[in-house]
Amino acid sequence: MERMILQTIRHLEDLPTLPSVAVEVMGLSRSPDVSIKDISECIHKDPPLAAKVLKMANSSFYRRGSQDIDTLHRAILLMGLNEVINITTSVSVLTSLGSRKSQGQSLRKKFWHHCIATGLIARRIDTRLRLRLQGREFVGGLLHDIGKIILDEYFHDQFMQAHSLSIERQCSMFEAENEVLGATHMEIGHFLAQKWGLPPYIADVSLNHHRPQDARFKDITSVVSIANLLAKAKELSCGGDTMSFVLKDQQGWHILKKMGHPMDSIDLERITFEIEDIGEEVKEYISTISDQEIQEHAHA
Amino acid sequence: MPMPEYLNTSQPGMPDEIFRLLRDFIYEHSGIFFSDNKKAQLENRLALRLKMNNLPDFDKYYYMLKYDPQASRELRALFDSVTTNETSFFRSPPQIQAFQEKALPEILEKRAAQGEKILRLWSAGCSTGDEPYTLGMVVREVLGEKTPEWDVKIFASDISEKALKSARAAVYNDYTLRSVPPDIKKKYFIQEGSQFRVCDDVRMLVELQYLNFNDDKRVKLMRGFDIIFCRNVLIYFDDAAKKRFVSQLYDNLNPGGYLFIGHSESLHNISRAFKLVHFPGALGYKKE
Repeated sequence: MERMILQTIRHLEDLPTLPSVAVEVMGLSRSPDVSIKDISECIHKDPPLAAKVLKMANSSFYRRGSQDIDTLHRAILLMGLNEVINITTSVSVLTSLGSRKSQGQSLRKKFWHHCIATGLIARRIDTRLRLRLQGREFVGGLLHDIGKIILDEYFHDQFMQAHSLSIERQCSMFEAENEVLGATHMEIGHFLAQKWGLPPYIADVSLNHHRPQDARFKDITSVVSIANLLAKAKELSCGGDTMSFVLKDQQGWHILKKMGHPMDSIDLERITFEIEDIGEEVKEYISTISDQEIQEHAHA
Repeated sequence: MPMPEYLNTSQPGMPDEIFRLLRDFIYEHSGIFFSDNKKAQLENRLALRLKMNNLPDFDKYYYMLKYDPQASRELRALFDSVTTNETSFFRSPPQIQAFQEKALPEILEKRAAQGEKILRLWSAGCSTGDEPYTLGMVVREVLGEKTPEWDVKIFASDISEKALKSARAAVYNDYTLRSVPPDIKKKYFIQEGSQFRVCDDVRMLVELQYLNFNDDKRVKLMRGFDIIFCRNVLIYFDDAAKKRFVSQLYDNLNPGGYLFIGHSESLHNISRAFKLVHFPGALGYKKE
């Protein structure tokens, strides 16, 4: 039997939608013979989106050389098709979810802070272990908790109740959500990712970031599950679940180890210390993604 | 217009690449990590070393450390200048919080379930006593009314007689108390003029003693601890000595016990015996 809340969400008429161009780009990306021209022309159909993608491509997160990336065509040549699609996906989802009404609340700010930190930490783990997940670990980290946005937006009171419960009981958010709402942010996130036609790994990460052993994309989901914990350990969490944990006892850790990655060689202390600096990077990402600057440009 | 005096330090800046090289060098040799946000701190501390060695910039200083055969002497001076030779009450709050909210309650619960209400802590390298007294205050806060039911001892050791003497006096100035929450200050300190004395309820929990960590026989005798704090001590040991001492600390702990080292100190490459525990904002090492 389908859970009540999922039924309710299925029938909500004002659920946020993705820009149609983003949907088209993701569709194109699945076709084997897509060309640079196809993708760049498609993104150009939505000028604000194109501007944001370019701005992100020029930010310190993606830019490698010293040259300005002034066209999408050039962005794809320099960064590769995958990264440009990654950027388009994250920018579209963040724009769709970011403009919702409760945006100004401090909890929502913490929420985005946590998501971006998780993405950035996932990227560092990918680099450290040479996993070559091609930026999907970043997008997965960034979007792993999108279900929480929907819960906060449409079931605000109950979601707040779950939040308080998780603090009071020192339990995880999803346990509290399950008790109060009868569904978890993982299920809701999975539903939304599928409804929006996001790449399958994002739906997988949304659903399984607390149980990477059940994931289809085990490497990406495991990396995000670890990054999620590390982000929480730096108190960048938005839930009440600031529990202590042993990283080496986590499923995600075991999975990556079983896959043959040199987990024992990782200097966990150093990674943890390095995360102390992540707040600055998060702020930078937020200022890159936020509308303001682009709008100011447009009005100038 | 002439430059104001405070700007005219003629101190060379530390370029980011050199910061990273120095940071990696210090981490490799001491286990202490300087995150990006501590760059200015490292720069300030090392500026004096630069001057003492008559070197024009951090670049040269780094190459001296790395390639000069005499560099081991400088290394010692460098470590002295990077560790704050200063201790204070409730230093590194996230660590104290991890102790107060996670490690200590876990141990107390286990002990109570075993029917032995005994708690043994060790502040190894206690300096002027700020740390063991802080631990004492936290223990009293956590136990509350149940304090009389428990047999609590906090051993506090140091190699400096001078530090121990001032620990015994247990009188501190306002500055050392700057991180103490106001209710704790009111509850556990007695103001005497501009000074603050630790109250007897806390002092009686703490047993101060002289101990040299090189004295293996005596260190071995320190047995049965539930939690050991050994912050910013390991930096003074070379790798071999570090390994030996940390493995000794492991033996000094009860199963299930915790070791806390300095806030940005690491045991990676030193010991694999412990389980690294991530507390919110702090790391701890658990003996299973």
